[in-house]
Amino acid sequence: MFIKYKLLWGGLFHKKLRLFLSVIGIIIGVASLLLMNSFGESAKIKTLKEIETFGPEVMMVVAGSVKVHGGRAIQTEITTTLKPADAEALRKIKGIKYLSPVFNGDGIIRYLGNNLTTIVNGVNEEYLLLRKFPLLEGRNFLKDEILGYKKVAILGYKIKRELFEDKNSIGKIILINKLPFRVIGVLAPIGIDASNTDQDDQILIPWTVAISAVYNVDYIRSIYLSVENLEEIHLIEKQINKILLKRHKVSERNKDFDIVKAEDILQVKTQTTELFSTLVKSISILCLFVGALGVTAIMTLSVNERKKEIGIRKALGAEDKNILFQFLAESVFITSLGGAIGILIGVVGSLIFLPLFDYPLVFPWIPILTSTLLTIFSGIIAGIYPAYKATQVDPIILLRHNF
Amino acid sequence: MVKKLVILKNITKTYYTGKVAYQVLKGISLEVEEGEFLAIMGASGSGKSTLLNIIGLLDKPDSGIYIFDGQEVNQLTKKELAYLRNRKIGFVFQAFYLVPWATALENVLLPLLYRGKINKEDEKKAVELLKRLRLEKRINAKPNELSGGEQQRVAIARALITNPKLLLADEPTGNLDSKSSQEVMNIFKELNENGITIIMVTHDPEIADFAKKIKIIKDGTFIKE
Repeated sequence: MFIKYKLLWGGLFHKKLRLFLSVIGIIIGVASLLLMNSFGESAKIKTLKEIETFGPEVMMVVAGSVKVHGGRAIQTEITTTLKPADAEALRKIKGIKYLSPVFNGDGIIRYLGNNLTTIVNGVNEEYLLLRKFPLLEGRNFLKDEILGYKKVAILGYKIKRELFEDKNSIGKIILINKLPFRVIGVLAPIGIDASNTDQDDQILIPWTVAISAVYNVDYIRSIYLSVENLEEIHLIEKQINKILLKRHKVSERNKDFDIVKAEDILQVKTQTTELFSTLVKSISILCLFVGALGVTAIMTLSVNERKKEIGIRKALGAEDKNILFQFLAESVFITSLGGAIGILIGVVGSLIFLPLFDYPLVFPWIPILTSTLLTIFSGIIAGIYPAYKATQVDPIILLRHNF
Repeated sequence: MVKKLVILKNITKTYYTGKVAYQVLKGISLEVEEGEFLAIMGASGSGKSTLLNIIGLLDKPDSGIYIFDGQEVNQLTKKELAYLRNRKIGFVFQAFYLVPWATALENVLLPLLYRGKINKEDEKKAVELLKRLRLEKRINAKPNELSGGEQQRVAIARALITNPKLLLADEPTGNLDSKSSQEVMNIFKELNENGITIIMVTHDPEIADFAKKIKIIKDGTFIKE
């Protein structure tokens, strides 16, 4: 039984270097296809997770014209026209659940000789509820603390670790831009959110204190709000737009604010990832195609070299279909071998690189399946021409030398 | 009455090289009885190999009738011809044409691949044949490890594994030294004595002398004896 397969397949392993060379294109193609596919899948999951941290019911009113670039909401210039009174005006809209004015700026933080720079976010007591940021210890702001310009602070997880390490921070006094603040709470680890900012690297203080004592301005940068009912989000967006246009006395064309929803960020992000992954997939498929062409070339060469073998097989009773099958099978075997190695490299690569780039680990089942099918398919395509050539070998060449 | 294995009537064959037509066979007629040992002699270009191709069902004549083992073969399909070659004809070539990456034993078994299965019986038979041809020590050797004479003996074993009625040999000693040639021819003689019909093409009169009958071909026709 073994001899049968040896006689069918033995020719393949006769030239091992050549076998390897013909396989290498396929290996590269399949490995990159698999790697890119699992990165694409992983990126999708990552985006969805980030959007979840933002929340579909949350909206931002941002001062200035905002463009969503590559999934990041970028404020193009500083605009001073968004005032605390605007926030109060929006509060009157029906269906708004939480609302918080936000003023953010850089802050130099000091505690017992420890110095660090971070983002200081001036917010109100609804901000944590709105963003669904859980507290690791301590408590949220009180309404009176916001209204009463109290210098209290809630620390991001990383800030707490850097300033206090394992020690208790609640009740301690830290300096923010030289002003003393009492720590009342610490946020649980959150990670990077949809706006690509690390939410563990920030300090929250009352917005009243932020614009007065710390930064001395009369405007805010944005208003965060969430809606009661997700279905009303578009309606509420329109109302906000209307109110602010009126209050700022601007037209739609030159408006000095922008409204950003999770949905908008998601849309742009998925568009970018999808564009990227389509591009990469096309390149990988092209690579696989080139690999298949390589197999065709090598197999054609091999058929030319093995004309005598083919002739003798025919003289001994092989039919065209036997020869066709033999060489098709050789091509499929070569590409499958390359495919298997490629898949192995791709899977190992995914398992190594996904965690390295902070992507969620996905086991690429679907990419494996598609690459396998694509490989076998390209093997057949690659083999058609050489196998056909093999059937065209005329056994009379065996006796031609002296006719 | 002895059965006729090969009957050729007025066979012609023309080859085209570019636009130049070259008539290789000009109306050949031949009858070969079962058990015969025929040597066809002729110079280079006389058409003897073309004739052997036609007899061996590797090529088709342009005109004329060929009856092989009682069956007219002109109209047979490629598939049917392949079947007949596999079951009834054994080939021995000047250049041996062993598959280079396969062992002697595997080469001998190659024709059986196209019957579907290769079982233990077949392997036993192949070993027997190799022993009969005094190759018992070379069973697992590759062709490049064998001498010319040994390679040709492996090729003969490969031709015999299917129990053919007809053994076709094209210059079987053309690549061999005189000692190996003698050996191969003695094998042919012995095979013929055991009943196999042999048609051999050669230009060497000494080799042709081993045959029972000699025909000489010149310019595409047989010279009258």
